[in-house]
Order: sequence, then structure tokens, then C-alpha cells
Amino acid sequence: MDENLQGDSLDARLREEASYIDDAGFTAAVVRKLPAQRVRRSYRAAILLAVTAVASVVVYLLAGNSGFIAEAVTRVVFMPLSLIYLLAIGAGLLLMGLSVGAAISKTRGQRLR
Amino acid sequence: MALTDADLVARVLLDDDHHAFAELVRNHQSSVRGLLRQLVRADVSLADDLAQETFLRAYKNLRSFRGEARFSTWLYRIAYNCFREEARKRKELVGIDEAQLEAEHDPQTVDPALRHDLAHALKLLPLHERTAVLLCCQNGLSHDEASRVLDIPLGTVKTNVLRGREKLKRSLAAWGSN
Repeated sequence: MDENLQGDSLDARLREEASYIDDAGFTAAVVRKLPAQRVRRSYRAAILLAVTAVASVVVYLLAGNSGFIAEAVTRVVFMPLSLIYLLAIGAGLLLMGLSVGAAISKTRGQRLR
Repeated sequence: MALTDADLVARVLLDDDHHAFAELVRNHQSSVRGLLRQLVRADVSLADDLAQETFLRAYKNLRSFRGEARFSTWLYRIAYNCFREEARKRKELVGIDEAQLEAEHDPQTVDPALRHDLAHALKLLPLHERTAVLLCCQNGLSHDEASRVLDIPLGTVKTNVLRGREKLKRSLAAWGSN
């Protein structure tokens, strides 16, 4: 053995030492242990849209094709402006609170030790 | 065209694509299993169990991979954490007994069949030096990446690599001179 073994040649020997390990069914074993596949995100969006559309049609039909939408719009139009502002601010705050809560719960538990 | 690690990770995150994750496992299984085999001193079965646990944890925590480091570096960190937990369970984290280490460094006590054997010389290194040498010299991580994997200061990694390499050179030179 060369006593003046240079660092580079030692590194080269170390890399040679790390020979390729054949998969030999390892990947298949890992994949078998993965949790069941979730419904694809693209499918989920389509399913949600379809369910919403069907639900809207059902509600519309159950309401006897009445003009409940026009009624609601009229009610909003005749509301005092201050009340509309209050409702908008309230809805904004509620949405913000929900978003912050969702973001916190999502980031929690994502960090690896 | 082959997909990059980032593409495969995106597919797993977006569509929970098991095929994409299998591709990631295939691409990295050799280096992860190799590292773990060296860490557990060639207990192949234990190393493969830990490697499997590493990839399952990687799958569960894939959202926390932000792409700031290489995917392999991130995997090494998980693998090292798995190894440390296992070692803690088995109370082996302190490494091999120092007296045993000294005895094994003595060229007279080394099995002649093992002389010139770099793998054996590696096994004689204390755990912290062995790990640093394996990550930096064998797996090509930078000192900075290794410090993130091992969660220790950069200076400590540099010292451990330097000391580990010096000991390796001394072992190999001593065995070779007889």
C-alpha cells in the first residue's frame, strides 16, 4: 500500500467501494407498503364541480322554479349600504380566519425531525 | 427524456402517483441502502429495513421537501434519522468500544484476509467520523450538505472528515507495510 496515499485516490477508492446495489424487489416492497392511493386531484375537482352542479339543479327544482334568486338579489339591493359593508367585512374576516387556520394545520406536522 | 427528481416529486404531490414514487425509490435505493449498510456495519437485513422505513417516511413527508436541497440529501437526512432512532433503541449510538477499536487498529491483530480492505478500515472508524467520510467522500455531499444531514455544525463536519480520512490512510498504510 502506498503510504503517501493522496486524498483524491482515497476518495476514488471509497467511491469504488460503494458498488451499485441491485434493486432485487426492494422498490416493489416499498410501493406495496405505501398507503392506498388518494383520488387524483384533477378527478377530485371534477367530482366536486359535478356534485355542486347537481345540487344546484336539485335545489332549483325543489324550490318550484320560483324566482328565489331574483328575490334574494332584490333583498340585497334594498339593504342599507352600511349593512352590506358589515357583511362584506364579516365574510372577509371569516375567510381570513379559516385560511390562517388551514395554513397552520397544514404546516404543523410537515416538518421532519 | 428522463424525468428529474423534481418532476417526479411534483407528480407524487399532485396526483399521488405511485409509479412516480417508485421511480424515485429506484433512482436512490442503491445509495441509501449502501449508506445504511455502512452505518449499521454490513447488517444487510437491518439496513434494508431502515432503507424501507426511510422511503416510507419520505413519502409521508414529501410535502415538507421544498427543493432547497437535493432530493438525495433530503433522503440521507431521513435515513440518518432512522439509523439514529434504531441505534438509540439498541443503545449502540456511542459506537464500538474504544479498546476494541485500538485492538483492531493494531496491524498484528487484523485478520490477514482483511488487510488492504477499505471497507473494513471504514468499519473501524468511530461513528461520527465514519458517517462524515461516507457522506462527503463516498456519496459526494459537500461539507455544508453533510452538516445539514447530520444536524451538526459545519466545522465539526470538516474536522470529522479530516480525522476520518487520516485514520483511514494510517490503517491502510499500516496494513500494507506488513
